[in-house]
Amino acid sequence: MTDANATRPRTRRDAQFDKIRDREAALAGTRQHTARFMSKFLNNRLAVVGFVIFAVICLMSLFAPLIAQHDPMSPNLRVIAKPPSAEHWFGTDKTGRDVFARVLYGGRVSILVGLGSALLSAIIGVIIGVYSGYVGGWLDWIAMRISEIFMSFPQIILVLLLVAILGQSLLNLIVIFTLTGWGGIYRMARARMLSIREEEYVQALRSFGLGPARIAYKHMLPNALGPIMVNITLSTAAFILQEAGLSFLGLGVPLSIPTWGNILNAAQDLRVLEQNWWIWLPVGATISLFVLSVNFIGDGLRDATDPSQQG
Amino acid sequence: MLTYIARRLLTLIPMVIVISFLIYLGLELTPGDAVSHMVPPDARSMMDEERLQALRESLGLGKPFIVRYWIWITGVMQGEFGYSLAGGVPISKIFLDRLPATLELSFAALLISTVLGSILGTISALTRGSLTDQSLTVVGMLGVSIPEFFFGLVAILVFALNLNWFPVGGRILPGYDSFWDRLPHLVMPAMVLSIMMTAGVMRYARSSMLDALSRDFIRTARSKGMPEWRVNILHGFRVALTPVIVLIGFRLPVLIGGSVIIEQVFQWPGIGKEFVSAVRSQDYPLVMMVALFSVLAVLIASLIVDLLTAIIDPRVRLGE
Repeated sequence: MTDANATRPRTRRDAQFDKIRDREAALAGTRQHTARFMSKFLNNRLAVVGFVIFAVICLMSLFAPLIAQHDPMSPNLRVIAKPPSAEHWFGTDKTGRDVFARVLYGGRVSILVGLGSALLSAIIGVIIGVYSGYVGGWLDWIAMRISEIFMSFPQIILVLLLVAILGQSLLNLIVIFTLTGWGGIYRMARARMLSIREEEYVQALRSFGLGPARIAYKHMLPNALGPIMVNITLSTAAFILQEAGLSFLGLGVPLSIPTWGNILNAAQDLRVLEQNWWIWLPVGATISLFVLSVNFIGDGLRDATDPSQQG
Repeated sequence: MLTYIARRLLTLIPMVIVISFLIYLGLELTPGDAVSHMVPPDARSMMDEERLQALRESLGLGKPFIVRYWIWITGVMQGEFGYSLAGGVPISKIFLDRLPATLELSFAALLISTVLGSILGTISALTRGSLTDQSLTVVGMLGVSIPEFFFGLVAILVFALNLNWFPVGGRILPGYDSFWDRLPHLVMPAMVLSIMMTAGVMRYARSSMLDALSRDFIRTARSKGMPEWRVNILHGFRVALTPVIVLIGFRLPVLIGGSVIIEQVFQWPGIGKEFVSAVRSQDYPLVMMVALFSVLAVLIASLIVDLLTAIIDPRVRLGE
């Protein structure tokens, strides 16, 4: 670079570029971008509240064996359908199982299903979407058609159809959610890539002779990460709602494993609904609170990452 | 316009064919075949393999997969939907019996959520940043976060069991089948079903109204001295409505999905409830037909939405 400069006289432009370069060098170590993102996220009060609720529920489920004093699976016929007390904080259900313990342990499975399916479908959707959005061609065409097929089903009909075909189990449910969920995130990643593709730095990278995979995943993907993160949080919320709905119908996770939806399943009985509110009300509130917190986080992320959504 | 319709139809037909093929393939992958459903296990153990095979042949199960698919799909196109495994009832009869209930519920929910959602969204946009706007936003967030069936359970407990305002569930009492007799049954399921969609429409209407209000023609209208309400209603609301119509079309799958669970909660005798019990009892022919028709409903709805937007917005039909 210095050789090139030495062969011609320095102009005012060169001085300007030097100044810009100095400024960038001074900022290089400060991770200013992350700091700005964090401060914007923290400024959003609802997002912070959401994150706190999310963390509390996750941690309580994670450390369920330390918090709950009762086993969530073993029935105790001496305390059937008892209202909340000091011994059983959320009371007991119709076979004498501690509802509080069941909500905590149920959270493990429900959050695993929600978060796991969201992450898996994001990984699949992003890997296909980023590459096919940048490269295009037959791969793009095929992936697009497949996602169109998946998306022309109403989500729950497709899920139930797959449950009927594959059978009911925890693993099957995650597979089914992933299968039905990747399309949305794929389309979003693809659309982002289509607009990033036109930017100059991508053309510059191409002219350097970088391979398409390297350009797509290493250089373009980071710029599409904001909407992808938002999408992951929103689909986590959606999957948790779906798991709850399916298990409520008795078609989700097998009833022997406690999940939030499976606990609510008891409320299909009108007598339980009317007389034993503690069996279903706390867990319904927990699901609502958790999904609400995830949605708040998603909104906060959107506001923090998307410059077009300011104000 | 005609070429636009033709182009949309041309992309639709292969889609339907592929999906029907996949659904049929899915049925093929399920354990057992029609014979194992027709012959009870104890009778089966008495029958020798030859007779089972003969039965399979007589049902056409010996033919190659692709031939059977062809026979099935041509049958479906002529209105032969097959029989439910539970009691051998023709599926077309189940559809005729159950569809009116589902349509009634869905249209009621669609109507409530469209009207309520676009009004609340517009109010929210016009009072942007105020307390009203902020509380509506939080309420909308609650609406999409609380599971619909949980709303349903709470509604049953409060309004049916404690206050006795509405019946707990069902659609028609024997002997009372006029619309006014049925209305109390409809109120709770329709309200509950519409909550999530109302919240969605509201959020969308808000942002699309904000978008419309920032356009140049709004400034022009204001600068002409047009009264503020006229600007908002005539120019803002009308332009903001187009994306809302699109959203409502795309929300149809959500509505169908919601009604599957809500019908179960309120024991509403519709297709959704039938579908759930079919999945439970592994009544595959019925599961397959409901899935196929729900896909058709979604595709046709999206076609109608496309045509509507093409009529409203000429840029769409000229294909950019």
